[in-house]
Amino acid sequence: MFLAPAVLLLGGLFLAAIGLGLLRSLRYMPAIGLTRPDLAAYAAILTAPGFLASVGLSLWIAGVSTLISTTLALGAALLLRHSFPGRGTIGLLFQLNLTVPHAVGALGILYLFSQSGGFARLAHAAGLIAVPAEFPALTHDPYAIGIILQYVWKEVPFVGLILLATLQTIAPGHEAAARSLGASPWQTFAHVLLPMLLPGLVAAAALVFAFALGAYEIPLLLGAHAPEALPVLAWRSFTDVDLYTRPEAYAMAMVIALIGLALVGLHAWLVLPKRGRDDR
Amino acid sequence: MTADRWRLIAGSLLALWLVLPLVPLAIWSFAHGWRFPDLLPRDWSLRAWTHVLTPGSGVLESLGLTALVAGLTTILAVLVGLPAGRALGLHDFRGKRLVLLVLLAPAIVPAIAVVPGLHGVFLRLGLTGTIPGVVLAHLIPVIPYMTLVLAATFAGFDTTHEDQARSLGAGPWAVFRHVTLPAILPGLLTGALFAFLVSWSQYLLTLAIGGGKVQTLPLALYSYAAAGRNDLAGATAILCILPGFLVLALVARRLTGRHPSVIGGIAR
Amino acid sequence: MTGLVLAGLSSTHPGASRPTIFSLDLAVPAGSLTALLGPSGAGKTTVMRLIAGLIAPDAGDIRLGGRSILALPPERRGVVMVFQNALLFPHLTLAENVGFGLRMRGLGPAEIATQVEAMLGRVQLDGLGARRPSALSGGQAQRGALARALVLKPDLLLLDEPLSNLDASLRDEMRQLIRDLQRDTGTTMLVVTHDQAEAVALADRIALLLDGRLAQEATPWEIYRRPATVAVARFFGGVNFLPGRRVGGAFDCALGRVPLPTQAAEGKGGDPASGPAVLTIRPEAIRLGPAGDGHEARVLATAFLGTQGRVELGLGDLRLVALTTPEVAGGLIPGAAVTVSLPAEALWVIPDPEGKALTDRGA
Repeated sequence: MFLAPAVLLLGGLFLAAIGLGLLRSLRYMPAIGLTRPDLAAYAAILTAPGFLASVGLSLWIAGVSTLISTTLALGAALLLRHSFPGRGTIGLLFQLNLTVPHAVGALGILYLFSQSGGFARLAHAAGLIAVPAEFPALTHDPYAIGIILQYVWKEVPFVGLILLATLQTIAPGHEAAARSLGASPWQTFAHVLLPMLLPGLVAAAALVFAFALGAYEIPLLLGAHAPEALPVLAWRSFTDVDLYTRPEAYAMAMVIALIGLALVGLHAWLVLPKRGRDDR
Repeated sequence: MTADRWRLIAGSLLALWLVLPLVPLAIWSFAHGWRFPDLLPRDWSLRAWTHVLTPGSGVLESLGLTALVAGLTTILAVLVGLPAGRALGLHDFRGKRLVLLVLLAPAIVPAIAVVPGLHGVFLRLGLTGTIPGVVLAHLIPVIPYMTLVLAATFAGFDTTHEDQARSLGAGPWAVFRHVTLPAILPGLLTGALFAFLVSWSQYLLTLAIGGGKVQTLPLALYSYAAAGRNDLAGATAILCILPGFLVLALVARRLTGRHPSVIGGIAR
Repeated sequence: MTGLVLAGLSSTHPGASRPTIFSLDLAVPAGSLTALLGPSGAGKTTVMRLIAGLIAPDAGDIRLGGRSILALPPERRGVVMVFQNALLFPHLTLAENVGFGLRMRGLGPAEIATQVEAMLGRVQLDGLGARRPSALSGGQAQRGALARALVLKPDLLLLDEPLSNLDASLRDEMRQLIRDLQRDTGTTMLVVTHDQAEAVALADRIALLLDGRLAQEATPWEIYRRPATVAVARFFGGVNFLPGRRVGGAFDCALGRVPLPTQAAEGKGGDPASGPAVLTIRPEAIRLGPAGDGHEARVLATAFLGTQGRVELGLGDLRLVALTTPEVAGGLIPGAAVTVSLPAEALWVIPDPEGKALTDRGA
């Protein structure tokens, strides 16, 4: 069957990884003498304040990033629908942005927004501050502003291009119909365009949320040290010298996997063709 | 007229914002020390660039390695994704939605969830610290995109052209070369571009599976940044984004959202 | 109410070298069903979008009910469009779709529900209100779109190729439905189509658009029997054109001096009394038979067309095509002699002062 190589390879790798992770999260690690699976690792992480704080922080980061980037993306898509001087350039910049690795973007954000970075220096030049410490902490800060900025920077073009595609293909006819039926431009947007965009928008938001929740390299560079973002905490646990705390690292991975799978379900539900639509 | 004016202003701000983070990276790469509160470096230098571009400093090697890994990943993804994409795009079958789900999940579930288990598995298989191991790891996020883009491409492909070619005397390979491939080439290139960029930008997977022995460009970037060598980091960062720009220039119009449900997380 | 008036309307497609429509004058009487007919590219869609307010003209005015609507945005013109592919909003049910315009006007839900239900009944979609557009057939969706437009009691209803997406059996039903609705509601309707059979079957009046200009505006019967130009005649399947001169009450041509009935009046321009002209007669009006008064002709070919028979005739150098019953056509053998008579009342003369009518493509 044509599908076999892809599914086997991918499924195999993925399931093996998750499977092993699950086993070890249940404290089944014969190599170091743990042969009876139990939930002790999960209990340990759920009671440790560090883990819950990290979960909270990562959910905060993911939530805020998703909200801001989808809103701005909607605005950007509406902006780019119509012709105006410079629209081609912005379209190109959107696409170029997609090719920039997150690591590079994160570094750029760091150099712009850190307390000794570009904006701090502009503030100094404007006479607003005298020393770096007077500039508000936007990176390595408890609200993860720098991290959120980086996600917004990368996800607005991504979601924006998706929305733009819909706006340019499916929307124009329905827009004309709505205007013809007496809807003002605002009513057309609220009652016709937005509902049509919503499924795709939420599906894209699910992708953004999953990424903002689980990415490692961005909070590594831009995050505070306590609490750490969840992926950073998980990796640190995993590379901890003490093998007996290893199951806790696996348990964290499993928790992240669970949230991720829930988002996969949401995205799939919105995007995959519904059965029963075709039997008419 | 004012509507256009607003659009121009909003557009300019947007453009500025998109370009802004790349600016300090570029400036740093030409700086010989750049202290607060200077808006521009007092001393300029090509030192960072000469270091980075000299073979032996490790950066060019990283570049080559990253390209190699991304290239291998892309090729494998094409080999595996082409038949799978064809099956998904052209046929309906029981369990199709399940297959799509299985293909979608590895792309969305964060790498950190997969990495601990994957590391354990690869350790057993002796793949840690090897290029093949890293390539295989990269395939996890890459195969889904490749397959889904190709599925969308094949969905728009009319197989009667192939039948026509066969009845005119072309064998299966000739049909593929002369009929199928030209028709799916745009989609194939888009998928390959995605695949290449996803692999190119990987950090955690390379770190975890490569174990320090496979030093790709993003990892080199971070080690310079962590060491406080902002000039080298800047130069490496610019080096890191150039191939992406180049490849994009080559397949310029493909990315205008033709496969909306699949444009996801490229260059994650 | 004076209906719709287009005055000197001109519009050029961006990037085109010639205007898409040029100085178009058209009056659609209130309460009538007029067809805007023309081949693709003639500019019909442009005219429609101009009337709906989706694009602005380069010159000219559009008046509805006596007042200009040119400055009004689409949603305030009182003009509602029904599109070729229904375009029911996919995220709303049929009932919600039909009630959309009423909702935009701010009517209360109870009032909307009553009107929607009544309208759905009118278009024979009762009981289907809760369905999503994806669960409706093409014909049902089309009727839904009609209901959605008519419930607003528009001053003008624009229909874009309403029958072209339907198969033959549904087309008849829809045609009848549109006619009935028009008669019952008295809504002024402008149907845009490229299909002349559709226009003829549907409309009270036909406005034929050729190359961006109005070629003729008349009842279907008039357009068939009294085409203004050769191009108009050709568009409706006319094929018999005899060049010659009109002299008083007769026509000089290769057939000799053919007497004209007193009503064979002028086409467009030119001196009606005399001058170069083209004589035309509809294929179905030509009579074939044994000896009698008429012209001697040879049968060149016959063809069976289902409900009709087509006969190609040669009269000297002239070629004529006649449409008759399959039986008559079947009884004729190529090469046989037959008498052709051209009933005077079916003759029509199109003045051709420049002598170019038969070589020109356009009106």
